[in-house]
Amino acid sequence: MTQAWVLGQRALREAWRTPEALVPTLFIPLFFLVVNVGQAGKIFPSESTEFLKGQGYAAFQLPASLLLAASFGTAALFLVEDIEGGYFDKLRSAPIPRTSIVLGRLIAEGAKGLLISVAIVLLGMVFGITIASGVLGFVLLVGMTALWSVVFVGFMQLIALKTRSAAATNSGGLVFFPLLFLTPNFVPRELLTRPMEVAASFNPVTYVMEGLRSLILEDLEWSAILPAFAVVGVTGAIMLALNVRMIQRYD
Amino acid sequence: MNDAVEAEALVKHYGSRTGVVEAVRGVDLRVSSGEIFGFLGPNGAGKSTMIRMLTTLLSITSGTARVAGVDVDREPDAARHRMGVALQEAGLDPRQSGRETLVLQGRLFGLSARDAASRAVELLELVELEEAADRRVKGYSGGMKRRLDLATALVHQPEVLFLDEPTTGLDPASRLTVWDEVRRINTLGTTVFLTTQYLEEADALCERLAIIDDGLIVREGTPAVLKAELRERQGLASDPSLDDVFLDATGRTRSRAAGDVQEVTA
Repeated sequence: MTQAWVLGQRALREAWRTPEALVPTLFIPLFFLVVNVGQAGKIFPSESTEFLKGQGYAAFQLPASLLLAASFGTAALFLVEDIEGGYFDKLRSAPIPRTSIVLGRLIAEGAKGLLISVAIVLLGMVFGITIASGVLGFVLLVGMTALWSVVFVGFMQLIALKTRSAAATNSGGLVFFPLLFLTPNFVPRELLTRPMEVAASFNPVTYVMEGLRSLILEDLEWSAILPAFAVVGVTGAIMLALNVRMIQRYD
Repeated sequence: MNDAVEAEALVKHYGSRTGVVEAVRGVDLRVSSGEIFGFLGPNGAGKSTMIRMLTTLLSITSGTARVAGVDVDREPDAARHRMGVALQEAGLDPRQSGRETLVLQGRLFGLSARDAASRAVELLELVELEEAADRRVKGYSGGMKRRLDLATALVHQPEVLFLDEPTTGLDPASRLTVWDEVRRINTLGTTVFLTTQYLEEADALCERLAIIDDGLIVREGTPAVLKAELRERQGLASDPSLDDVFLDATGRTRSRAAGDVQEVTA
């Protein structure tokens, strides 16, 4: 675990020293938040829209921005750089468990995801969004987002380890966009058309989004929070297992 | 004296779209402790595959390999503790400083933070990078990167140092500096196993060498013995160069080498 932590610190230094890769993860989700609220905010006034629970439409949209921020997976692109530049082999020639190489990056991505989600939520609060579930809700909100960023970068790392190509890894990340839009992104699930509702119900991202949304709009609503953490936990365990398997077999 | 590197019937097959590629086809090799051993061969002959198997970076199809007496396939972590590796690409993180690189490497080899920091200072002095220690690696010249890469391979004071083409791409002055480093490391007791495509480098540095071609060892011995053998066999008036030995061993001619295999004329 020490080696994973040491490698995690190195990955954090790498992120800090590459602001050009970090800034879009903050800027683009905020951009989408502003644009989506600008386009649909008037359709859903807070006074007459029950599902907003008294808040503005920005509060309803915030989870989509958080999920987007957690789905850049830049750590996987840094991993490809390590592979292409030979540093990955340097790490593999050290007497450390192979798993610590992937774990180090996952730890760093979790820390980065935490910072970015805190920044986005705080900015949202400055512009009037309140976290109805209180301080614990805030912690769960940013924690869940950070964990989702670990899940997503785990997925991206799989592509990186398999293809060893930055282009393929980048393209693989685009898989997330259909999943993000097959969710109750603009309205609650019950207001979707039937085919869309069925598709959203099969999409695990839906449950993460609904969990995040409940933490913003309601008091602690465990029936929404627990399924979200279950999705994050199960997909995270799958990604971790696949990452470990992939790096153990890396030749 | 114990063997620092031993390979017996070492084989590596790769699967490819066109079938199985036999990159290494049964190599037996022994390198004695304390020597500088050169491993030569044309591009694609199996040099890098061999070094990657010996350094635990590539699985072995069949055969055995031991480094400092440890089976690299059965006990890879124990073997990694005894070897240092600097591969063809100077494997460095451009965003870290030289000092951070060495401290991290020390931590990965089990040193405490304090010991890793003090070992980094020693190594920066050894490879004469003290002044550039806190600059990011991306600003280093090719020669400085090579020296730092060498230093990372020495963090844990390995018994055997593997260097894969340590001077490829360097200017003549940097190449001579790396040669000096390799000699200095060797005089401190480290066995050096190096691959190179520069024959004058092998001639200048190596006590013994082997030439691999098409996945098989085709010559092995000291440079002097290999030259004398060729001179005698071909009835030459004077000793041939190592280039001639290489061309003879790999079945190439100077005219073909000039056209097809650029590296042997370098």
